[in-house]
Amino acid sequence: MGRRGHKMPQETLLKVSNIDVFYGGLQALRDISLTVELGEIVAIIGANGAGKSTLLNAISGMVHPVKGSIEYDGKNIATLEPFQIVALGICQVPEAGRVFPNMTVLDNLIIGSYNHNARPKREQNLKSVYQHFPILEERKKQLGKTLSGGERQMLAIGRGLMSDPKLMLFDEMSLGLSPIVINELYRVLRGIRARGITVILVEQNVRRSLKEADRAYILEAGQVALSGNVEELREEEKVKKAYFGA
Amino acid sequence: MKVNLPRLKGGLTPLIAVAVLLALFPVIGVPNSWILYLFLFFIYLALANMWNLLAGYCGLISLCQPAFIGLGGYTMVILAWIGVPLYLGMIAGAVVAALFAVLISIPVFRLSGIYFAVGTLIVPEVLRIIFLIWRPVGGALYGKGAGYAVKGATLVSTMEIYWLALIVCISSVLIIRFILRSNLGLGLASIRDNASTAASSGINVFKSKFYSFIISAAITGLAGAAFYISQGFIEPTSAFSVKWTMILMLATVIGGIRIEAGPAVGAIIVVILHFLLARYGGVSLLIQGVILVSIMLLAPQGIVGSIRRTGTSRPYRALMRLTTRR
Amino acid sequence: MNLDVLTGLATPIAMGILLGGLYALIALGLSLVFGVMKLINIAHGDLVLLSSYLAFTIMTSLGIDPILSLVIGMPVLFVVGFAIQRYLLNRAFRISMEAPLIIAFGISIILQNLYQIVWTPLSRGLTTSYALESFGVGGIRIPLVYLLDFIVAIVVMIFLREFLRRTYLGKAISAASQDRGASQLMGINTNRVYAFAFAIAMVFAAIAGVFLGLTFPFTPQSGVSFLIIAFGVVVLGGLGSIVGTFIGGLVMGLAQTLGGYFLGAAAQMLVAYLIVLIVLGARPRGLLGR
Repeated sequence: MGRRGHKMPQETLLKVSNIDVFYGGLQALRDISLTVELGEIVAIIGANGAGKSTLLNAISGMVHPVKGSIEYDGKNIATLEPFQIVALGICQVPEAGRVFPNMTVLDNLIIGSYNHNARPKREQNLKSVYQHFPILEERKKQLGKTLSGGERQMLAIGRGLMSDPKLMLFDEMSLGLSPIVINELYRVLRGIRARGITVILVEQNVRRSLKEADRAYILEAGQVALSGNVEELREEEKVKKAYFGA
Repeated sequence: MKVNLPRLKGGLTPLIAVAVLLALFPVIGVPNSWILYLFLFFIYLALANMWNLLAGYCGLISLCQPAFIGLGGYTMVILAWIGVPLYLGMIAGAVVAALFAVLISIPVFRLSGIYFAVGTLIVPEVLRIIFLIWRPVGGALYGKGAGYAVKGATLVSTMEIYWLALIVCISSVLIIRFILRSNLGLGLASIRDNASTAASSGINVFKSKFYSFIISAAITGLAGAAFYISQGFIEPTSAFSVKWTMILMLATVIGGIRIEAGPAVGAIIVVILHFLLARYGGVSLLIQGVILVSIMLLAPQGIVGSIRRTGTSRPYRALMRLTTRR
Repeated sequence: MNLDVLTGLATPIAMGILLGGLYALIALGLSLVFGVMKLINIAHGDLVLLSSYLAFTIMTSLGIDPILSLVIGMPVLFVVGFAIQRYLLNRAFRISMEAPLIIAFGISIILQNLYQIVWTPLSRGLTTSYALESFGVGGIRIPLVYLLDFIVAIVVMIFLREFLRRTYLGKAISAASQDRGASQLMGINTNRVYAFAFAIAMVFAAIAGVFLGLTFPFTPQSGVSFLIIAFGVVVLGGLGSIVGTFIGGLVMGLAQTLGGYFLGAAAQMLVAYLIVLIVLGARPRGLLGR
């Protein structure tokens, strides 16, 4: 039916209200609003160029909205710099992971705990990352550029976890990876949620992401076309046609 | 290479009129000091035009121009010592400069941006040292350095050298016009903006830059040779000096980089500047440097560019700057 | 085998190696700034020279040893470098593609001319008592100052390597030079990191300037050769590799001393410059670097 496990108390963690974002001279987001409740997994889906990555970048502070607000835990973060937003507990795992190629796996993880809130918890976070991804411990002395695509994504997620986040943003986590690896990543994702971390998931793999998410937003050309609970969405004619080939 | 003839001919009549007028100056009795300053103006304009071609349209911030100037001059001087007429020596100078450009394009063209700039900085330095050590002809050294007198230069009248310089200058103007208004020119503009999209639309990036580099070297060498004929002597430290780079950069930037008329306006100002600063020899370069930096920061489009810009507002660009991260 | 030739060569080879350490030091500053901030200040060599001239003035007017004068020299160089970076070059980036280079060139000319006005075109040197000493090893005599250069260079390089490897800030500098956006997403304040990397680079430049001044006489135009050498070292050794920078320095040092040995003092820089051009032509990304 719906939510797995214990249902968290409804508390809005993130509230994006009517933001317009320009990127490279074009308007990427038009009057976007969304909310994320504590403990949820929210999926954001849409075609290439619909603005999904830009939305994550706006939340992370990499781009700033021209209008509207982004409220996190009661604070307006729309004008903050990325490093300040990380310190508040929001962490983005960027598209393709973007691990540091000439640093070791271990150093990549360590740099994940750069923000001051995460530093004291470094060792315990490191242990739990190794539990999620034993292969990272195996390869801890290897340079980032020597890892395979799947391992890089794991490293990126592990690195994100090192920042001791409350909200994690995943940008196209499963892009270009094999189904086995994807399954592995989603298993870890569930583990992340079980730890109480809220998740926003941007995916092109609609079926899979809708399987894991509680709610979803469908973006089209920079605007929210549809949103709601995953079960409701699955019944929508549009969604059926576009993504499930009704 | 396609050439749009009407575009090419546009605005040519006033230019021809000016050129004829200028050519008549020494004949109609314009004072000698004016002639000399105009001579400088012609040389500087030729140099600036060529640098504008490289830096403005090809994205090649070349610090290598003194190499061509010095080579043009030295070729002419060495040939003069073995009896070659000065006019031929000049042309030889242009050829040598062009060949040299071909040679150094091998290392230097694989580079971009800063690598290119420093790479081109090294070249004149290398030549300066070589010519300090090398005594190509057994002729009398000028002064205490490694300089040479230009044999036969004293026989050239002011009028003749004035006309030589005018011809070099007109050539540079015509070449720029031709390049910019033909297929090559459009290719250059898009290369400067984005080399990879330019390449994908079929423009041979390398060829365009290469030809521009060679042409620029040739005309720069020609101008250098003409200058040293008027000087009467040449020596390595000033022939390959960075002062040349400052002159042509300043002229281009003051007038307006990437604008066809820019170097002309800038060259006039640089000549006036040299006149004013002549008595402050020590501080002259300092002031030129300050002007260069100031113009780039405050009015990067130069004089011509600023005049064109007034009246156009860019709210969109301001909006972009607000909302996008670097 | 002509033994005389060998012993003759031993001196320039030894001196070239020792000098190479110093050259690596000059390049380290440049490498840091270029690797992290992706810009080369063409005036970098002139900034190094500023340190030499400062030490000279402090030495001649206050009698303080040049190495001690670094206490003043380092902050001055940092302030000047920072001002140039922040108020001139940073703005240049937003103006156009060619603006940073042109402005840096202008600054270089301004500095060169300033030095000429303040300190005259006469060649200067930091002549201290120990700078004139020489020591003997294996039958050859080498100026003591070369050994000092080498030791200082090694110490600084080790320090830098450990700093980059072991501290958070050091790792942040490495990260920011590899992927700026990703490091911002990791919570790194890249502006602060850049400022710090820049400060380190200026400190290195200050140190290099003093030791260069102790080793060679300098003129207002020396900054250009410092830049070319530093650039050559970076090109040879590749960006981002301290070991590579060291090897690059050795090559440049040897090129200079051997060039001078075979072709005479006037030509010593020539060989080094030509090597830079050749390497640029063959492998612009460096022989050893990434």
